[in-house]
Amino acid sequence: MQTVTATQLKRKPMTSSAQPDDPDHAAALLALVATEQSRQAFSELFSYFAPRLKAYATRQFGNEQTAMDLVQETMTNVWNKAHLFKPDRGSASTWIFTIARNIRFDFLRKNKHRQHDLSADELWPVLAEQNDSLDDDYALDDDLLMQQLAGYCELLPKAQRIVIELIYVEGKSQQEVADALGIPLGTVKSRTRLALQKLRELIHSDD
Amino acid sequence: MIKFHPNEEHLFHYVTGDLSPAMLMMVGTHVDMCPHCQTQVRDMENTVANKLFGQEQAPKELFAANDSFNGDAMLQQIMSQTPARDESRITGLLADELVLEGKRFKLPATLARSQHRIGEWHKLIGQMWRAPVQIGGEDVLTFIYMDKGTRVPEHTHKGREATLVVNGVFNDETAEYRDGDFVFLDGSVKHTPETRDEDCLTLAALDAPMQFTSGLSRLLNPFSSLFFK
Repeated sequence: MQTVTATQLKRKPMTSSAQPDDPDHAAALLALVATEQSRQAFSELFSYFAPRLKAYATRQFGNEQTAMDLVQETMTNVWNKAHLFKPDRGSASTWIFTIARNIRFDFLRKNKHRQHDLSADELWPVLAEQNDSLDDDYALDDDLLMQQLAGYCELLPKAQRIVIELIYVEGKSQQEVADALGIPLGTVKSRTRLALQKLRELIHSDD
Repeated sequence: MIKFHPNEEHLFHYVTGDLSPAMLMMVGTHVDMCPHCQTQVRDMENTVANKLFGQEQAPKELFAANDSFNGDAMLQQIMSQTPARDESRITGLLADELVLEGKRFKLPATLARSQHRIGEWHKLIGQMWRAPVQIGGEDVLTFIYMDKGTRVPEHTHKGREATLVVNGVFNDETAEYRDGDFVFLDGSVKHTPETRDEDCLTLAALDAPMQFTSGLSRLLNPFSSLFFK
């Protein structure tokens, strides 16, 4: 494994034409991080964006430590979630800005320790692991399957759908669902069985 | 066709995250419904990103920040993690419907994501209903539902009021507002919203209690606190 560090990259002569401020180059670097966890590509992105993020965060917070936290959290997301970057929706630097904007929003609220506070993900789902458009070229097969399943679930009677969502989306046990809805465990079981049976029929009817 | 939009300042501060939570929800919901503002938002995001990260316009502070910035340890720490895909990706299953008085309303994405924040519906005056959206912060975000043929007594606001039509139509003295229309009023404006042949579900952000200004409805002033529970 190569050990390119930020410092080494900074010393690199600037003759190389492609810099991360070139949108195509930055997008290519993100793609390398997404597909093969390229450390070199990430290091290049890091050495370009991290100081700039720090300048932004320092201006926002006026606090060195908080600024560093924002840099770390933002770049960690870039490392872990590069696969969520969609080049057709905007440039790499725009994507990184929206991640930083969200983290800043949550930092500003966290300090107040209030209940019910809105989270940045709800406002701007930059890092949501879902396809919100069906024409997404980058959709993975299992995302498609999930979408189809979600569509089928919409067709279930409401009582069954609620049970299915609580069990398969929220991961509750049948007993927890019974308690949450105030209905007998047997009812939860029969609704689950009927819903799965119906889903099976719907899936086969589309084959 | 949406006729009334948030102003540029609202959109810009939506992009940077510098509005109150209630206004962020309002503008975000409008953007969900409005392709025109979606483009504006995307352009503004690009502009801000270029300003922050553009090679040419690197801010002065950058050099100061760079001096004390030793990122190697952070870089190594980040890359020691193994990227893992989040498996909880069935967010498409989230309910995006609001059911009220036997009618179903499809919620725009921003509201659908915050559906768990919608409180109970309470009847206000006549055929008017209200449900709070609990988002923290000082100002108030609330759904207001008016059945057809409902009139809100003339009122002004001590502060500002933003109203977004989620579904339906309402009128006031100056215009007709339909799905996606975003109306922003300051304290100087008196208005009398009403519905005619259609009902109307709106989302409203208020930053001070309403003042009812005409005749008997002034008796309702104590009642305006109902909007702010």
